[in-house]
Amino acid sequence: MPLEAPARIVSELVSRGYNAEREAVTQLASSDDPDRALERVLEDLAEETLVVRTEHVESALSRDSPPRSSASETASATEDPSVSTGTAGGTGRGSTTRSPVETGGSAGGPTPAAGSGNRSADPALRSLEIANDMTGASTGTGEYEDFVSVFRDRLERLGATLRGRVNHRPATAIQSMPGGSEAGMVGLVNDIRSTASGHWLIELEDATGTFPWLVMKDREYADLVEQLLCDEVLAMEGTLADDSGIAFVDSMHFPDIPRTHEPSTADRHVQAALISDIHVGSQEFMAEAWNAFADWLHTEAAEHVEYLLIAGDMVEGVGVYPNQDEELDIVDIYDQYEAFNARLKRVPGDIEIVMIPGNHDAVRLAEPQPGFDEQLRDIMSAHDSRIVSNPSLVTLEGVSVLMYHGVSLDEVIAELPEEKANYDEPHKAMYQLLKKRHVAPQFGGHTRLAPEEKDYLTIDDVPDIFHTGHVHKLGFGKYHDVLAINSGCWQAQTDFQQSVNIDPDAGFAPIVDLDTLEVTVQKFS
Amino acid sequence: MREADERYFERLESQLDAAFDVAETAKERGGDPEPEVEIPVAKDMADRVENILGIDGVAERVRELEGEMSREEAALELAADFAEGRVGDYETKAGKVEGAVRTAVALLTEGVVAAPIEGIDRVEILENDDGTEFVNVYYAGPIRSAGGTAQALSVLVADYTRALVGIDQYDARSDEVERYAEEIALYDKETGLQYTPKAKEAKFIAKNLPIMLDGEATGDEEVSGFRDLERVDTNSARGGMCLVLGEGIALKAPKIQRYTRNLEEIDWPWLQDLIDGNYGGSEDETAADSADEDADDDPDGEDADDEPNDDGDAADEPDGPPRVDTSEKFLRDLIAGRPVFSHPCATGGFRLRYGRARNHGFATAGVHPAAMHLVDDFLATGTQIKTERPGKAAGVVPVDSIEGPTVKLANGDVRRIDDPDDALEVRNGVEEILDLGEYLVNYGEFIENNHPLAPASYTYEWWIQDLAAAGADTQALEDDPRIDLEFPDPDEALEWAREYDAPLHPEYTYLWHDLSVDAFCTLADAVADGHVEGATITDGHVEAEFVGETDDSGTLVLEYADAVRDALETIVIEHRQREDDGRLEIDTWRPLAATLGCEPRQAVTDGAALDPADGDGEPAIALERTWHDDDLSERAWTWGNDEPGANAMEAVDEVAPFTVRERAPTRVGNRMGRPEKSERRDLSPPVHTLFPIGEAGGAQRNVSDAASYAETMSDTPGVVELQIGRQRCESCGTETFKNRCPDCNDRTTPDYRCPDCDQQIEPDEAGRVECDHCEVEATCVEPREIDINEEFRGALESVGERENAFEILKGVKGLTSANKIPEPIEKGVLRAKHDVSAFKDGTVRYDMTDLPVTSVRASELDVDVGQLQALGYEEDIHGEPLTHEDQLVELKVQDIVLSDGAAEHMLQTAAFIDDLLEQYYGLEPFYELEDRDELVGELVFGMAPHTSAATVGRVIGFTSAAVGYAHPYFHAAKRRNCDGDEDCVMLLMDGLLNFSTSFLPDQRGGKMDAPLVMSSRIDPAEIDDEAHNMDIVSQYPREFYLATREQADPESVDIQIGEDTLGTDGEYTGFEHTHDTTNIAMGPDLSAYKTLGSMMDKMDAQLELSRKLEAVDETDVAERVIEYHFLPDLIGNLRAFSRQETRCLDCGEKFRRMPLTGDCRECGGRVNLTVHKGSVNKYMQTAIQVAEEYDCRDYTKQRLEVLEKSLESIFENDKNKQSGIEDFM
Repeated sequence: MPLEAPARIVSELVSRGYNAEREAVTQLASSDDPDRALERVLEDLAEETLVVRTEHVESALSRDSPPRSSASETASATEDPSVSTGTAGGTGRGSTTRSPVETGGSAGGPTPAAGSGNRSADPALRSLEIANDMTGASTGTGEYEDFVSVFRDRLERLGATLRGRVNHRPATAIQSMPGGSEAGMVGLVNDIRSTASGHWLIELEDATGTFPWLVMKDREYADLVEQLLCDEVLAMEGTLADDSGIAFVDSMHFPDIPRTHEPSTADRHVQAALISDIHVGSQEFMAEAWNAFADWLHTEAAEHVEYLLIAGDMVEGVGVYPNQDEELDIVDIYDQYEAFNARLKRVPGDIEIVMIPGNHDAVRLAEPQPGFDEQLRDIMSAHDSRIVSNPSLVTLEGVSVLMYHGVSLDEVIAELPEEKANYDEPHKAMYQLLKKRHVAPQFGGHTRLAPEEKDYLTIDDVPDIFHTGHVHKLGFGKYHDVLAINSGCWQAQTDFQQSVNIDPDAGFAPIVDLDTLEVTVQKFS
Repeated sequence: MREADERYFERLESQLDAAFDVAETAKERGGDPEPEVEIPVAKDMADRVENILGIDGVAERVRELEGEMSREEAALELAADFAEGRVGDYETKAGKVEGAVRTAVALLTEGVVAAPIEGIDRVEILENDDGTEFVNVYYAGPIRSAGGTAQALSVLVADYTRALVGIDQYDARSDEVERYAEEIALYDKETGLQYTPKAKEAKFIAKNLPIMLDGEATGDEEVSGFRDLERVDTNSARGGMCLVLGEGIALKAPKIQRYTRNLEEIDWPWLQDLIDGNYGGSEDETAADSADEDADDDPDGEDADDEPNDDGDAADEPDGPPRVDTSEKFLRDLIAGRPVFSHPCATGGFRLRYGRARNHGFATAGVHPAAMHLVDDFLATGTQIKTERPGKAAGVVPVDSIEGPTVKLANGDVRRIDDPDDALEVRNGVEEILDLGEYLVNYGEFIENNHPLAPASYTYEWWIQDLAAAGADTQALEDDPRIDLEFPDPDEALEWAREYDAPLHPEYTYLWHDLSVDAFCTLADAVADGHVEGATITDGHVEAEFVGETDDSGTLVLEYADAVRDALETIVIEHRQREDDGRLEIDTWRPLAATLGCEPRQAVTDGAALDPADGDGEPAIALERTWHDDDLSERAWTWGNDEPGANAMEAVDEVAPFTVRERAPTRVGNRMGRPEKSERRDLSPPVHTLFPIGEAGGAQRNVSDAASYAETMSDTPGVVELQIGRQRCESCGTETFKNRCPDCNDRTTPDYRCPDCDQQIEPDEAGRVECDHCEVEATCVEPREIDINEEFRGALESVGERENAFEILKGVKGLTSANKIPEPIEKGVLRAKHDVSAFKDGTVRYDMTDLPVTSVRASELDVDVGQLQALGYEEDIHGEPLTHEDQLVELKVQDIVLSDGAAEHMLQTAAFIDDLLEQYYGLEPFYELEDRDELVGELVFGMAPHTSAATVGRVIGFTSAAVGYAHPYFHAAKRRNCDGDEDCVMLLMDGLLNFSTSFLPDQRGGKMDAPLVMSSRIDPAEIDDEAHNMDIVSQYPREFYLATREQADPESVDIQIGEDTLGTDGEYTGFEHTHDTTNIAMGPDLSAYKTLGSMMDKMDAQLELSRKLEAVDETDVAERVIEYHFLPDLIGNLRAFSRQETRCLDCGEKFRRMPLTGDCRECGGRVNLTVHKGSVNKYMQTAIQVAEEYDCRDYTKQRLEVLEKSLESIFENDKNKQSGIEDFM
């Protein structure tokens, strides 16, 4: 055994294209479960890494140790009991029944900001890093070539994880292989068709061309076809037909989150509030619920909430749909942001805030959406918030949070079978995005794409938390130990939502313990 | 029928027969798909209905009911017959309802469209939640061709039959109700509806409909909210259902109501709420809605804070005059380049005058030709306008017997322009159009639209009846040659007002109702302070009485003041503004002064004036105000609808020494819709011959190119493989694609073979060709190598033409008909020679906007009296013998007036037909026309889109207007009205010779717009009944005008309409009119919309005009142009950009997404975007500029700002921003 393990590890590493330090191999081999440890290490390796070193192994193994929290199904468990009504008894700001010690009697106006009451946060313990922010770095000029390179980049990066799993060949090479051979391919889904006899024909495309793959309707993979979206990255393996014009699929691989994924956690008990879709300016904006939330943040119960993440739609915006002005409470877009800023001021000043724009915000609709421009940043000056692009990867004390507004969820829900994605369980739709390792795979449909030098929409690194909004429904759950949270909204049901039968979850704030990744939901409506 | 009418029709029919004979002979000889004429002559409507439905006994019953009742009533009567089993042989209740509904639609569409069979899929019985049964009607897309009224009535008939056979009402589930609303919005977005009910309205209808409307899915997009409903099969939009609910029920509610009222069995009380826009919900909501509307109405944008008063006082004395409600609907979807002429009910807009001009009625609006010119030529004869009332749209006709517009010129003159030539002369100097003049609408329009009568303008035709009612001998006055009753002298007018105690003549009645009481007092003061210059004083003495001639009344000079100037402009009186001299001059001042309660102060004797003007000793008259502000009653001070004291009418009533009526209480808002049309109908690209040449002819489809085309060097030039119908010669067995055997010249027949076993199949009785053995449909279409060169050369030779006889001969890429029978190329050669092109059915067509005319003059038709006489016109409208060109004659129902362009095109077609007869069929030429005069008397077909029946017409003359004038009944026979609709004419012989059903596309709707049948004579009872609502009198009674003040139901007034003469001897004649017009083609010949070049030019002109028009709020226009045109364009293109397809520049292959190879996967060629930066931001700067210049709302500006930033973010590199010029300085 002792001799066998290092050799196996080395050969495995080589087959995946890595070199390794001798010491690292030894460390791996001596771990309790070398295979698992190896997967863990590879998972964490940065893309450009070629040589596996001891520090990689150490860091991977150190995270591998703590026992899994028993909270894999916290979703249903926490949702009911832990919902606390923030406005217990308090009907409004002027109410005398409610006098939190920390608000020091300023019941009417915005709560005093930093350093108030029982909040005992020590800023020195915090860390907040941003990755994948493209604000101010939009270099695309809308040329044909820009589009081509984005899609190439997508295949390049997401395909990387798949190439190790199948014996892949370029499309053109497969075309010239003899009939009956086994072949594998990694590519973007170009087309999905059903044949007259009920089988599925999936066209994969790589940088050389396309090749059709036939999924027989009675094969186990047939169900997966329904979950496919165009332009996601996929690997297929199968047997070529006699004329080599088509291949019969034997297996199908998604980039996916490795089952072995172990989330990172914070070293101390600290919490983050994950919200979105505030829609200030709308007649339906729930000011009281928001104020209750802001007030609650000043209470002892919220003393550990040190981060506030907002996943887009700060304001209701202008011109989002026809005759919107008739339904706006604040018609001026700048006034909307001023009002949003005033709302933000009620939040304790020591909370770190990160926000990304959404489809109602005054930035381009095409994704990736850069963070707000200078003019709007100046308006939203409260708290010195971090304003970054949609999507962005935010790391809070070691816990990485992928923030994405969530426009593509509509499409995932519309295209995929009800049980895989629906509005009542928005996190299930998010699982699909995690599985595809892309926040908005399908081009040409609902989601809009602005071509940039790279595909900012891929999920390169596995996040610990995936945070979206947009559909105004609250839902969370774990997928391969990644916590997916779709926060609700702060806007009551609109006429439009009523017309399309959407009943929003308004006035909820999901709170995540960064040390355990457990979720509790606070209700303020 | 009168003997004269009978003679007319016999004459048309014998002419038709003669042409038929020639055509039949020709067809027997030629190589057409059939050896005979393919357009049968229809006997009557009943036959058509029965044939289209295939239900025995319907025709007989229809004929029985026809004489007794309207067609709608007949449809309901037939529904009862179906319910009780008297007609049709149906076992089930569902079958009975289905039969009744189909019959109703067929009947209401005169059996000329396919809607009854293709538009209604089935009727089924389903169960309500409480276990009761209800009726579900399943509609399909082609129900569109039935039109809103028939669609709506089909629902009513279904409900009526349902009640009679004893089925319960449909009780919609709430998710179904919501689904209707969502689906209609989706369908409107995807396909577009003429009228889209708002969600509230749609839900209200869905909730209340007693039967369920369902249908086939017609689109790909699915609803997102209310999906997978148990009783709705599809998640896509059901087009047929959306049409019936939207354009049918929602739009035609007032019409349905006319019939539900008379039916005991069914009760749709909710229709009234629908019409009132009262969709239930809470009281607050409705109150809020109406408040909103009121706020909109307010031209000054001020809050309607007196609104509660209005409601509260409704029961008491009114505190304002009768007024119509404003409606903004017509302003929706305003398009750049199509101007608004008047905002809803806006002061200065068109003034409603009642009457029918001879070129008027049937969804048209009479506008003064001077106004057409003054709105910068945007209005021309036939231009469509979207209008506030009574209908939605109307075709514009020139009428110069109404009052023209009043304008303020740069030199300060305020003039009324009643002559189009004057309009052209002063047009460049117009600073402001204070008033657009009168707008003629006939009584029948109000009947047709079931619109309450709107308060009438005070006009000559009302006044003369008032005068008679007051006891004057108007006959004597009319007979007095010294008196012009319509345009009298002011003193005469004043004298009549005082002598007979009749209201003041309208010519001197100003628009006091637009003036506030305050302004009225100000004006009275100013007039009292004014002085009169240049008055001649007869007998050295001017009485305080109003006597003497007009000429010597002099000019009233007022001191220049803004308030006074505004008041004069508001009441629309001609005057001169001399700001530099501090003077306002009014020539015709006596009626003004009198109405203001001002009288000449004192007699001036012997030149010793008390008020010498300018001190030059000239005699002058001074005026005295005979009343004080305090004399006015409280009522006068508070009179007005918008706000108290906004209307000076009561004040006038109290101070004027005679009665003054409201001059123009109703203004009609409108904007330009479509421009008029008079153009040849060409397919795109144009086609000369329906002969397929595949890709061999290039993009031009050039047959000559195809004849020499070879893909490779080894191919024979001109040989191309094509999908084409196989024919077999029965005599010698030769296989060919031609209709005559190339070997023995016998006629060939389609050679159907089973695609599986290749066995020859003969069509069965029903025309089906199915292989019994393999159970598949046989076909005669095969890919076949055709030597186009040989065919082309052969055709040239056979008609004796050389290739240089024409510029280009264009064929088609492929045939779309079922059997793919090509047309002989010879026909194409001759069409190309005469520069005419073929429509998909082989005919040559010319499109024109439809307009009605009931009486014409030879002079305006460019024909002489002799020609009219030769056509059977013997008398003028007064029964005098027809002797000179300016006499008006009543138009016969099937006679039509061609536009100049149409005449030209007809001549070309006639020359083509003559050559065709001579060179192809070997017969004598038929037409031999030298110039267009000779076209007079020739027969044509009129044919409207979405119908399948042609109507025979006869050319009577020509007009320079770009429209097709014809009798309203002729248009109605084609199922058109004149609200901007257009349709085509074909030369008779062209239709007879060249039309073939074999050419028609083999797809749903393919048989529309093709003359499957022709009506040789119009039976007024069998036309679109909209035309029956046209009034046909020469004068409206005084009671009518009084009734308009009550806003009465139009049906409550007795004015003869077409319907009243149906079935009588007078049904073809006696179409009298109340207003004449000098020429039916006055005003510009073409709308500026068509003469201006780019969209930007049009929009600039549109905005420029909006500045000039008093009745138009230019900011609102700019807002709407941005909102409805620029923003959707920008947003739509931006969206399209970020999800676009790409296309190969070399082979045209399209890709859903950019290929990863970068190059075309098909040909390796260059691939590029289909939506570029340039097409996305082409309007961006213009929109921003317009928003700035016209001071649009911040909301609009900010939307543009956000968009501009988006564009910048997408199309500009943040790291390489374009440097400004200052970087280089």
